[in-house]
Amino acid sequence: MKLGRAHSSTLLLVRLLALAISLTLGAAHANDYSDVAQLLREGKLAEAQTRVDRHLAAQPRDPQMRLFKGVIQRESGRPADAIATFTRLSEDHPELPEPYNNLAVIHAAQGQYDKARIALEKALRTNPSYATAHENLADVYARLASQAYSKALQLDGVPQPGPARLTLIRELSPAPASPARPVLAAAPSTAASKPVVPAQAKPAVVAAAPAPTKPAAATAAVPAPSATPPQPPAAADSSNREVELAVRAWARAWTDKNMTQYLAAYDKSFETPGQQSRSAWEQDRRLRITGKSRISVNLLELQITVKGNRAVAKFRQDYKADALAVLSRKTLELVRTGDRWLIVKEASGG
Amino acid sequence: MKLGSRPLLLLLGTTIVLVALARDRGEQARGETVAMAAPQTPMQAPLTPSPASGTGQVNGAAEARLIEIYRLTGAGYTREALERAESLVRDHPNFQLAQLVYGDLLTTQARPVRDFGDVPAALAGGSAGNTLSDLRHESQMRIKALRERPPVGAIPSQFLALSPRNRHAIAIDASRSRLYLFENTPQQLKLVADFYISVGKSGIEKMVEGDARTPLGVYFIISNLDPKSLSDFYGSGALPINYPNVLDSKRGKTGRGIWLHGTPPNQFSRAPLASDGCVVLSNPDLAFLSRTVEIRTTPVVISPRLEWVAPHSVQAERKPFEDALGAWRSAKSRGDLDQLLSFYTPDFKSYDKSLAEWVPALRSEVDKARGKPIQLKDLSYLRWTDATDTMVVTFGEVADGERSGPTKRQYWVRQGSEWKIFFEGIIG
Repeated sequence: MKLGRAHSSTLLLVRLLALAISLTLGAAHANDYSDVAQLLREGKLAEAQTRVDRHLAAQPRDPQMRLFKGVIQRESGRPADAIATFTRLSEDHPELPEPYNNLAVIHAAQGQYDKARIALEKALRTNPSYATAHENLADVYARLASQAYSKALQLDGVPQPGPARLTLIRELSPAPASPARPVLAAAPSTAASKPVVPAQAKPAVVAAAPAPTKPAAATAAVPAPSATPPQPPAAADSSNREVELAVRAWARAWTDKNMTQYLAAYDKSFETPGQQSRSAWEQDRRLRITGKSRISVNLLELQITVKGNRAVAKFRQDYKADALAVLSRKTLELVRTGDRWLIVKEASGG
Repeated sequence: MKLGSRPLLLLLGTTIVLVALARDRGEQARGETVAMAAPQTPMQAPLTPSPASGTGQVNGAAEARLIEIYRLTGAGYTREALERAESLVRDHPNFQLAQLVYGDLLTTQARPVRDFGDVPAALAGGSAGNTLSDLRHESQMRIKALRERPPVGAIPSQFLALSPRNRHAIAIDASRSRLYLFENTPQQLKLVADFYISVGKSGIEKMVEGDARTPLGVYFIISNLDPKSLSDFYGSGALPINYPNVLDSKRGKTGRGIWLHGTPPNQFSRAPLASDGCVVLSNPDLAFLSRTVEIRTTPVVISPRLEWVAPHSVQAERKPFEDALGAWRSAKSRGDLDQLLSFYTPDFKSYDKSLAEWVPALRSEVDKARGKPIQLKDLSYLRWTDATDTMVVTFGEVADGERSGPTKRQYWVRQGSEWKIFFEGIIG
């Protein structure tokens, strides 16, 4: 099963890259990518590296080329370099599963399974629906295990828990596909050297939008795998993106037990629950969060409404900490403060 | 796309699995409970190939499959282990330990397994908790027996001399929950198979009726009961042994009906401590034993902990006893009653007869033989050492010129450097 997943994630990457290559990139790019891929298949690491270096000299931020670079380093027996490459790539593109995945491969090969596991968990977290399927599968396994345990302990007469309630995904998630894939595809936006795709294009998101679009319409034919049906036009969309990134960063800080980032996600005007002082509330959060050995926070069905400088994010919060697992509704209210979106109110339920 | 190359994928495949296991192992290293020791062993120590592994395909096959699953799990092949476990529980749905391992392997797909038999608290309450510790204990015992294999060619120290009539011999090691079956070939005593067994709920060293303990000593199989004549509870059959034996009775031990038997339909095997004193084997194992052993001549040694010795090393040990036995035979051959009587203890018994009651019978036997020498045919002797040193001796007493004679059994006790007889009687 795990192997299968790894397979499908890689296949997905391959497909998306192919898509990116064929649809959104100029011939030069496509040639570079497919040439490097071909050289790697043939084990011509030195030649591949030359091509990659040349490409990166012109476009140092190109994520696909950086991924190639890391792969070449790894295959040439330079795991430390590869780790550095993949780590930087994951820092620049925390939404991409592939760098984390590859980091995990290297850590595992070095017997550092704890690190591999953390990396893989981060890879899974880049895609909420992927994570949901992962958790659903885990639930199914847990139920199967429960049945086997009951047979082991001969619990014939004991009532079993009700049927497993797996999480239904109601919406296609915009987060993974829009940032992850287009970033690969639209990498030139940072390098700004290819006129083929306009720099501001957000192909996948815009793709399904019925609204008349700018030159990005060129990509409208792309059957975006994750288009969210009613999308406001691009301007509002970018605010939505910012809010979404802020909310996801908050959830990630919580998961990572990074208290500095977690607390920094809350605005000064944040309404602390029970009218605690800010410092008392912070202390309480610290104790609760750092006291757990493991936390995972996944956001499901994230919906964002932006009005001017205020935004509301509603989602189902899938929170797991040690033995605890709580699935609840949550609403965050955020305000734009400078170039950041900060939480001013946090409410559960409803 | 090199990223999709097979080595990377394979690495990743084992990675995820190993992540769970690595964590598992780390926690076990810190853990101190007995239960945790069980999964640790198969993962950390390579199992020594068993001399009986050649026959393992048939005997103890389910256990061999279970151990292979442990091995795969330990080596990180959780997926493969999961498939094997699935197949094992399909073939033996009543093999509770296999179900437990299967449950753990499924669990590793969902979350890290904290310890062996990581049953959710909701399922492991009440008596299920006891069942769970029993299963962990069973796992430990099976692994223990497989890790601590008898040295190749070694025999239990009790088997000083077996006759060709003892075509098989059984030795049970309670400390390893294990039964070892030997074939007595002309060249050597050969280990044929060994099986996981359960003993009494209260353990070993049976003293009184109803103490739920398994007796310790040298016994013989006295019957082979048809499973059709038995309730389901005994599974594929039963092999009663002669508890209480002469030594037991002399020591005032009580109880009866100690059998080797199979398991009820709902259990492939039972906990290490489970019976009322019987020795319980899985049904396939018991069935194999029933087909193999012989009534009256197959000895069953039940020991708290078997001591394994090289066959040649028992030669030296045998000498003082062989000398005593030779002197007894010589006195009897000469018809020297006074000399003969010096071999018997004052508390000697022959079944219900005291020494005084038995001497006339001995005298008439000697008179009838008229100094004709006797031979001891098919001589076997098994040594039992606990607080005292006992020799259980069986032979056919054949006078010169005769073709056969009665089969006799003697119990000798060592008193200082001298061996004396405290029981003698005709058997069979």
